[in-house]
Amino acid sequence: MLGAALACPAAALAEDSRRVYRIYWLSTQAQPDPFLDGFREGLRARGYVEGKNVVLELHYAIGNPQALREVASELRRGKVDLAVSSGPATRAMTAVEEVPVLFALSGDPVELGLVKSLGQPGGNFTGSTFLSLELAGKRVELLKEVLPNLRKLAVFSNANHPGEQSEWRATREAAQKLGIEPVYIPFSGASELESGLAKAGEAHADALLVFPDVLTMVHRAKIADFAIAHRLPSMFGWSEYCDAGGLLSYGANQRATYFWLATYADRILRGEKPAVLPVFQPTRFELVVNLRTAEQLGIDLDKSSILFRANRVIE
Amino acid sequence: MRPVTRPRRSLFFKYFITLFVAVVVPLMLGAGTEAWFAFRDNRLYLNEILQVEARSAADRIQAFTDGIRDQLGWVVQFPWTQGEDERRRIDGLRLLQQVPAIVSLSLIDPSGTERVFVSRVSMNRTGHGADMSADPAVIGARANRVWYGMVHYRRDSEPYMRIAVAGNRAAAGVVVADINLKLIWDIIAGIKIGDTGHALVVDDSGRLIAHPDISLVLRSGAGAGDINRLKSVTSEANGSAVSTTGEDGKPVVALAVRAPNVGWTVIAEQPALEAYESIRAALWRSLILIVIGIVFALVLAYWRACRMWGPIRQLEKGVERIGMGQFDHRITIQSRDELEQLALRFNEMAEELGTSQLKSERINRLKQFLAPQVAELVEHSDQRLLDAQRREVVAIFGDLRGFTAFTARAEPEAILAVLRQYYEAVGAVTSRHEATLIRFAGDGVMVLVNAPVACENPAHRGIRLAIDMQAAVQSLAGTWSAGGCAIGFGVGVAMGPATVGTLGYQGRLDYTAIGNVVNLASRLCSLADDGQILLDPTVHERVKESFALASIGERPIKGYDRALEIFAVVSMVAGPAGEPRLERPRPGLALAETA
Repeated sequence: MLGAALACPAAALAEDSRRVYRIYWLSTQAQPDPFLDGFREGLRARGYVEGKNVVLELHYAIGNPQALREVASELRRGKVDLAVSSGPATRAMTAVEEVPVLFALSGDPVELGLVKSLGQPGGNFTGSTFLSLELAGKRVELLKEVLPNLRKLAVFSNANHPGEQSEWRATREAAQKLGIEPVYIPFSGASELESGLAKAGEAHADALLVFPDVLTMVHRAKIADFAIAHRLPSMFGWSEYCDAGGLLSYGANQRATYFWLATYADRILRGEKPAVLPVFQPTRFELVVNLRTAEQLGIDLDKSSILFRANRVIE
Repeated sequence: MRPVTRPRRSLFFKYFITLFVAVVVPLMLGAGTEAWFAFRDNRLYLNEILQVEARSAADRIQAFTDGIRDQLGWVVQFPWTQGEDERRRIDGLRLLQQVPAIVSLSLIDPSGTERVFVSRVSMNRTGHGADMSADPAVIGARANRVWYGMVHYRRDSEPYMRIAVAGNRAAAGVVVADINLKLIWDIIAGIKIGDTGHALVVDDSGRLIAHPDISLVLRSGAGAGDINRLKSVTSEANGSAVSTTGEDGKPVVALAVRAPNVGWTVIAEQPALEAYESIRAALWRSLILIVIGIVFALVLAYWRACRMWGPIRQLEKGVERIGMGQFDHRITIQSRDELEQLALRFNEMAEELGTSQLKSERINRLKQFLAPQVAELVEHSDQRLLDAQRREVVAIFGDLRGFTAFTARAEPEAILAVLRQYYEAVGAVTSRHEATLIRFAGDGVMVLVNAPVACENPAHRGIRLAIDMQAAVQSLAGTWSAGGCAIGFGVGVAMGPATVGTLGYQGRLDYTAIGNVVNLASRLCSLADDGQILLDPTVHERVKESFALASIGERPIKGYDRALEIFAVVSMVAGPAGEPRLERPRPGLALAETA
């Protein structure tokens, strides 16, 4: 469905071709930024050419949303047409009212106070939510199906991520329902990632659940390698983690979501109000299984129902 | 000349309008008919297109829901037995894998208890769950085998619907599936009507279920008023296209078709601007054709009317000129038709008029010195009569006596009155005798006989004329003497050869006689007393048999070497009855005595 949405009016170009739009890209992560690539791809598909009719100004404050607040205040003064905040960076933007802001969140934007409702955001914020909260329990359940003997689950989470607490709560409830003991291993920003992983290694867990987040996304290879090294079956939110060596992932397609976010950027630049653009929720969730990792971990997936349900199997 | 009121526009205007109308009316009728048929055909075509698209969309939506229904049928084929929850769970998971639109499934056993719940988002459940026997989905499915729920918006955004299917037998239980209707978008987005037309799906309560712009659907009923209005307007049209306002407030042509199984309405619409594009093009074509036709008709009508009106104006001007006397005016019309013929006739007429005017001018001139009947005769017989020639003429001179004294005393009005009466009397006598009145000179008069028109016995006629003239003037003289001053009249008559002809300068031409005979007559007149008529020997020789004449002896005459014997008329022998007679010459006869 998203694919069709993207393919449909690809030829559409910004009407006023002389106008150069300025878009602020705010992120608490460093480059390479996989989400930015998806967004850029989406802009190109809508007929925007960077440097010609659109300028992307990238603002990265690695692990420090506070630093982005200054960018936010600068944003309110400067002539910026649109701000796109990825993940935790949205937190720094909540006070911005003058400029339309697009977000891509794992959590619930209503709960965060960014929008009044998903159907009618009503303010200058709109974007996409990945429904991580609902999927949090589903991930635990899938992990349990692959590992019927799962007793102790290490939950690795970036505490700076908005809505992270809700996600942890949902995960904990699901784990308890399935008779699993969750071990919460939070870390704050990239600086604490290493020490966080070390803690996870010491938790003596049967499996590792990593909350989807820009930070863990960027360091997905490191985390996946860590999991294999510690013989931890891992569960992630997005398919990219599995490509990097994670065992399982269940969630919406990130790249497609950011690609799609570019269509909203296009509509806002053309004059539509973010207040009436509904927050988009993914309809399709990908279950990706990395069979190579499974072999490395000695897990026989054929016993479970996971393989026929997988959208993609990495062999 | 009387001022002519000119109805300037009339003919030109009539021709112009007639020709113009003759071209424009059929043209407009033609173009109008063509436009009307184009409009009708386009409307029919539009109706057909919209109907096909809406029907196809409705069929595909029906196929979408029917597909889900059929797939759900798989999991309710076998009756429930103990301990098969796990197998049922796998069935459910496989169904989720098979049908992307299904978000979750509840498998319900014959007692109405939920036994298996599988979901893409929420956590799965197996084993005895909630009692769902009172759920309308279960009741509906049990009653009709298939049950379609109302559309509802999850989290105020995404449209969902529940479908429940019951097995053949009650023992097979019921499956209730939650369907994400966002997936209908694929069907609706794939429908393009023209370039910018689209289809949308509305449920019975007027809520938007599918629209190419998915964000309109996700607004959870915002703008439902517009959608509802669109739905009721198109539904009322009963499957034919209506022009209305679309959900975005722009004018559209829309057509509604029902998808019967779920009770939804599919509306196919195309922006009016695009839908009527070809009609507009046809109308423009017709309009341009009409404008070209009108311009053409204007030019043609103007040209034709000018061709007609111009020569007529020329003719009118010609008539006006000729009316003003310009007989040499000619009209040149080269239209190679009746008008040219008319112009030729007109020119001929002008020429005739000119000729006849010249003639009448000449006659008028002749009438100055010829009796009218003589003048006509001269004019109509032979022009050469007036040419200079030498012939025998009788010259008669008359002269008032005592007139100079009279003019010294009398008022100018009285003098003129006397002269007028005198001229009239002399003129009347001259005319009667068909003689030629050469001129009046104050109280004197000169009359010629036998020129320019020859007559028999001119001497006789001259004498009779002289006698009548004397009598006429004498009868007048009595009335003139009132002023106490007597006026008399003397006449001299001579005959002999003289040169006669017209003489003069430019317009003033006189017929005159030159020769001794004129001088002689003048001298005789001077010699004559009041009431006396003196004759020269030549006249005497010719008329002595007819008139009583008496010699008054020889008198020296100026210009003659010797004295001539002069005669006076004594009495008329052959005068017409009733005319005054002169008894005898009475020298010094007082006018008062004869009166």
